[in-house]
Amino acid sequence: MTAGWTPIALSRDVPAGITRAVIVEGRELVIWRGDGPAHVWEDRCPHRGMRLSLGFVRDNSLNCLYHGWQYGASSSCVRIPAHPDLTVAPTIKANAYESAEAGGLVWVRLGGTEPLPAPSEPVTPVLSFAMEVDSLDRDSLMLPFQRAELHLHWHRVGPARIMVHAVMSGGADIAGAAAFLRALRDDMEQEVAA
Amino acid sequence: MARSRVPTLPKLYDYVLSDACYKVRLLLSLLGVPYTSVAVDFFPGREPEGEAFRRINPEGDLPVLEDDGVVLRDAQAILVHLARKHDANWLPPGNRWLDFAGADMAALSQARLVSLLGLPGDLATLRKAGRRALRDLEDHIGDRQIAGFDWVETDRATIADIGLFPHVALSHDAGIGLEDYPALNLWQRRVRKLPRFVGMPGIPDYF
Amino acid sequence: MTLTPDQAALDQWYVLGALRDFPSGKTRSTRLLGGDIAVTRRDDGIEVVGEGRALPVRTNYDHLWTTFGTPARDLFSLPEAAEPDRRWIHCGGVHVRASGLRLIENFLDLAHFPYVHTDILGSEEKPEVAKYEVEQRRDVDELWATKCEFFQPKAAAASDEGQISQYMYRVVSPFNVMLYKTPPTAPNRWDVIALFVHPLDEIESVAHPFMLVIDDTSSDAEIIQFQQMIFLQDKIVLENQRPLLLPLQPGRETPTRADLSSVLYRRWLKEKALTFGTEPRTDLA
Repeated sequence: MTAGWTPIALSRDVPAGITRAVIVEGRELVIWRGDGPAHVWEDRCPHRGMRLSLGFVRDNSLNCLYHGWQYGASSSCVRIPAHPDLTVAPTIKANAYESAEAGGLVWVRLGGTEPLPAPSEPVTPVLSFAMEVDSLDRDSLMLPFQRAELHLHWHRVGPARIMVHAVMSGGADIAGAAAFLRALRDDMEQEVAA
Repeated sequence: MARSRVPTLPKLYDYVLSDACYKVRLLLSLLGVPYTSVAVDFFPGREPEGEAFRRINPEGDLPVLEDDGVVLRDAQAILVHLARKHDANWLPPGNRWLDFAGADMAALSQARLVSLLGLPGDLATLRKAGRRALRDLEDHIGDRQIAGFDWVETDRATIADIGLFPHVALSHDAGIGLEDYPALNLWQRRVRKLPRFVGMPGIPDYF
Repeated sequence: MTLTPDQAALDQWYVLGALRDFPSGKTRSTRLLGGDIAVTRRDDGIEVVGEGRALPVRTNYDHLWTTFGTPARDLFSLPEAAEPDRRWIHCGGVHVRASGLRLIENFLDLAHFPYVHTDILGSEEKPEVAKYEVEQRRDVDELWATKCEFFQPKAAAASDEGQISQYMYRVVSPFNVMLYKTPPTAPNRWDVIALFVHPLDEIESVAHPFMLVIDDTSSDAEIIQFQQMIFLQDKIVLENQRPLLLPLQPGRETPTRADLSSVLYRRWLKEKALTFGTEPRTDLA
């Protein structure tokens, strides 16, 4: 993991119109995408605390399931349906984190000030999966697979759980790479259990 | 004078909170088949276990569908019947994932009843088995996605998807979110986008 | 979890379930406010033991009530229970992983109808919450919200078409609330829909919806399913509010005019110095 920047999903897994709930070290985040780049916000509507990941994306905005409060891409609330004629105060905002998409991944900055390092070469998304281990001993891993390289990024969900986000550079069989990663997952989990 | 026979509508013995009944309601809606329903007091009245209901289904279980003079029990069997009768495109080429919906997903179904209604059961064990089932489905759908397919059995939605969907979309009732399952998160949304999709309590239907 | 030390919470009456949930000759154990409870039903009565001592018992309105403390008043009155033409319908206890106070506050909320109870209690085309009134009736220590109006596509099990429903809410204690609503079949009467909350601990509750209704067209099963449908639509919200505990600290959430009953409910809880089920505050000395 790059200091401050945490990879939390494959960009592929957050297409337009989707919300995705992610937990990083117990912190609940929502990733959503309208027309443009993915947004990463605190998974909480400031009105009544409802998790926004249960809401719906419409017109390039994220709408809360509970009362339909509508948040634009800038994270400002633009509409409160219970008061259709109200001009919403600009202070009413969802809590947005700085985020970026690079190297096939969605990143969020949870600290630090350094810029996100630019990826060196184009990659193909392979698989994002949960693994019941407490952590990995390196921030990111590179594993040779066939004639390609698998790059494993990960974030810690909480005790005994991480999410691994794997991308690949160089041409290889993606289905085979996914099977390889699942076997790796199963082995590592068994090791923890033993 | 020839008298036209008025067709009788299929009759569903239904409980609004049942994941199994919802499978049937969802497919009936997707197929555009009109039906009548009879509300059965599964909870708190435990009506299915009573003598009157056991005359309809000796298993004392929901759902039950009366159609064409036949009484059908078991959600998966009802899905097969409805797909055969109305639109064979909904039939999957194989039974693996429809069977999985009835067998492996039962732990999630039980975990949900224990969490929700306080029915007896070992929640920790059921949740563990439920997570196992969700991971197996996640792995499968992840592979399907890599192979370029959106659905569990073939290139279109089938009753296998319909049989599995309620368990995934209602797993939160058993205290299991979809955070661990990125492929299921995408797939369940595809199901919600099917024309004539209907939700149920716990599955909001606008998206 | 152990029994809460919060005296304001201890000094309240709590529901433990419908009487019929406690069969004769059996002992059932449960929890209340984090403490252990054992209920034994005998032919000559019902005994509630909490944390090793016998607790006061009430059996009003077909439910079992108890308290760990010394409530300032006896159990609330429910005059409609004496009206002979009302049907009493138990909708069954549903477990919710949330503070019981969140359940009550959600029950008082109108603005969520179009989104959580879409095309039933509200419609996205008509989401506006008209001005309503809330008052604290100090003589009875109850909170009343009146003159509530909302357009409802299907207001009740017996509804065939949309109506503008009139609502009144009556909060009789921090964990017990009643809703009075015009029934589709008798516009000059009020249906009573009660929500009695049994707080097992701070973040786990059992909700007991109970209805005293004027409805001669729907079956019990239909009425129960309608009410369970509504309540289960709320459950997904309640379990996903953060925090699960009710925040009383100013600035933690963002109320608007439609949230007047929530604002006054929270003020009423603060006045009682109730802390059980509320988020710990950092703004107090």
